[in-house]
Amino acid sequence: MTDLEAGRTERLLPVRGGVALQRYRDVLIALVAFVVLASLPLFTGSKALLDFVIRCSAYGLFATSLNLLVGYTGLTSFGHGMFFGLGAYGFGLIMQKLAVPIPVAFIATLTITAVVAAVIGAICVRLKEIYFAFVTLAFQMLIHSTILSWASFTGGDQGLRGGIPRPAFLGIDLSNHVHLYVTSCALLVLGLLAMRQIAQSPFGYTLRMIRDNAARASFLGIDVWRAKLTVFVLAALFAAMGGMVMALFVSGAYPEFAYWTISGEGIFINMLGGVSTFLGPMVGTVLFLLLNDTVTRFTEYHGIVLGVVILFFALGLRKGLLDFVAEWAARRRETGEGR
Amino acid sequence: MKRTRTPGISRRSTLALMGAGAMTFAAPWVARAQAKTIKIGMPTILSGRVAQLGTSSRNAVMLEVEKVNAAGGLAGRQIEMVIRDSKGQPQEAARVARELVNTDGCELLLDGEASSGSFAVHEVARDLGVLCIHTCSEASSLTADPKQHIPNAFRCVRQGIHDSIVGGSYAAGIAKAKGLKKWATCSPDYAYGRDTTGEFTLYLKRFAPDVEIISESWPKLFQPDYTEVVTKILQAKPQALYSCLWGGDLTSYIDQANIYAMFNQMEVFAVNMADYTALTVVKNLPKGIHSGNRYIKTFPTTPENAAWGDAYRAKYNEYPTNWSWQNATAVMFLAEAAKKANSADGKKIAEVLKGLTIKCPFGADGTVTMRGDDHTLVGYAIGWGTTIPQEPYVPEVKAGDWKTIFELEAEWKKSKGYT
Repeated sequence: MTDLEAGRTERLLPVRGGVALQRYRDVLIALVAFVVLASLPLFTGSKALLDFVIRCSAYGLFATSLNLLVGYTGLTSFGHGMFFGLGAYGFGLIMQKLAVPIPVAFIATLTITAVVAAVIGAICVRLKEIYFAFVTLAFQMLIHSTILSWASFTGGDQGLRGGIPRPAFLGIDLSNHVHLYVTSCALLVLGLLAMRQIAQSPFGYTLRMIRDNAARASFLGIDVWRAKLTVFVLAALFAAMGGMVMALFVSGAYPEFAYWTISGEGIFINMLGGVSTFLGPMVGTVLFLLLNDTVTRFTEYHGIVLGVVILFFALGLRKGLLDFVAEWAARRRETGEGR
Repeated sequence: MKRTRTPGISRRSTLALMGAGAMTFAAPWVARAQAKTIKIGMPTILSGRVAQLGTSSRNAVMLEVEKVNAAGGLAGRQIEMVIRDSKGQPQEAARVARELVNTDGCELLLDGEASSGSFAVHEVARDLGVLCIHTCSEASSLTADPKQHIPNAFRCVRQGIHDSIVGGSYAAGIAKAKGLKKWATCSPDYAYGRDTTGEFTLYLKRFAPDVEIISESWPKLFQPDYTEVVTKILQAKPQALYSCLWGGDLTSYIDQANIYAMFNQMEVFAVNMADYTALTVVKNLPKGIHSGNRYIKTFPTTPENAAWGDAYRAKYNEYPTNWSWQNATAVMFLAEAAKKANSADGKKIAEVLKGLTIKCPFGADGTVTMRGDDHTLVGYAIGWGTTIPQEPYVPEVKAGDWKTIFELEAEWKKSKGYT
């Protein structure tokens, strides 16, 4: 456990009574965030900005769910992108082939993802560190190869073609750009709120304990394997939600969504934003997409620029941006108290 | 007095940040204010393993756009190209295409994406209603499948099915003349490789019914080592081999198969050989490989085509690629359609593009046509020939017959349930 993590654990120890208060505070923040985001189209006509927020929703859900594994449980998954791809393909295929209402497809995709994640997780979470990372990567490549070779069903390397039909439901028409935008924001806020509740629940603290010392957790009577499996499945569900938002944005699903590069981007985002604060990955997502969008505008050598940035974060700051800010604020507070 | 400095962002940098922010938000309006020019957006692949697709497409587009601008532009408006890298990722292609239209104010799109990226851009075109010409995706279903059809998208690219029909009939002729009955195939393991090989063998057997496929190999895309594939083929002892490997894969394959002297032991039909990207990179180009024409400045054997190839080479110090001629043709189509419509408006250009025939250095008879019913390019120069190790690399190309192509293509469409 790093000093950073140790310090944080102390800070985050919940005081009994304060938990309910904190939950109300989280809900309030989520509500405010949603209202601010949802009212954005009233103030700006910029479709690019709305597109940006939609992509932030997709990647943000994905990256934050990865942080449930990496930051909270200490499971560094290199194959988390498979659930992003599974969400996109599951949703796209159900909508194209079965023509069911969108909420039904949404729930069905989550169910399928849960089953797949439970099977893969049952095998993977027994393994430690590098072995866990490698086996998740192997499963990701298995799913990617299946998508490529099952061309009659998935469209192979050309992806799901012909667009994803979006019949209106409950007055929401997802083929309307603003409706899609508001729905994405709602999914993002709900997803983040749910993950926050998981992270702050007793289960969330069990995960931190497993991360810090699995043997001790086991001696205390915690079924480590079951806890790890549960969080693996939960994280997969939120990643699939991200995949569905992305599928709606591009109106299709492509094998690249299930490729290891997506998992790599998830880890990159977590490194940028930081893994020791809940909103770190979300900050990382905004940074990553901003960097990506601005750098690719000006040069095709974006790889060099992104590489330098990651080096700066890894070697210079030695942590993600929000970690850095949180530490800096804490230091300021301490010196302020000492004065 | 000791000066103290409060920690945090200084006033000066705050102002600079605000200025930068204002510029970012003002940029689209500034751009729109200069409405005299017309912006054409182009998402393409400029980085990674197939970056040459994007760079050679961009080169060709810029070469043609300069000509159009010198001649007065699109209906009097100078063209400004905005070309961006999608890294070959479909979600990036969709994002870039949307950004080009929504933020940069591009009124037309040239889609320089391959495979899945082109379908992603197609969906953007469907959503935004902007005129889009695909210039790199050879997947037949992009225009053949009626589910894909939208009034504002066109494809100015050679097509897998056309290549297979011409290749099948050419190869069948050689098979009959030389008695080649045992065939092997070796193609990349993804949709393009599987489909193209399937269609080629379908037409090969149709024209030469006693041909038999005795061995199939499916190396992975971008596989570095082909030893096992080469030895498998040699053990099967076929009389002929078909391959639709392309680019770096094809050149590595040939270099490695040369070690086993494969090319002396069988006739080789490699549809993607006759492209300068492959021809100039292979260390010892074997004599007598049969290939389809990708781009070669000696076919069609017209002074216009040779002049175009030389002009490109003079400007960029390399030969054009198959993607180059396709992108150049797309700009030619836009220019001609805008002239006919007397407007640079996407909808009006789309109306005129349907069924439009233009003079073009890459046409089989000096012209190419944008077929009206499925919005796809036909009448381009297509043929097969055999290689020699030095320029002109493929001295004689036997042209394919478009009448046969049309007949068999219609049959194929029916068999796929497209018509």
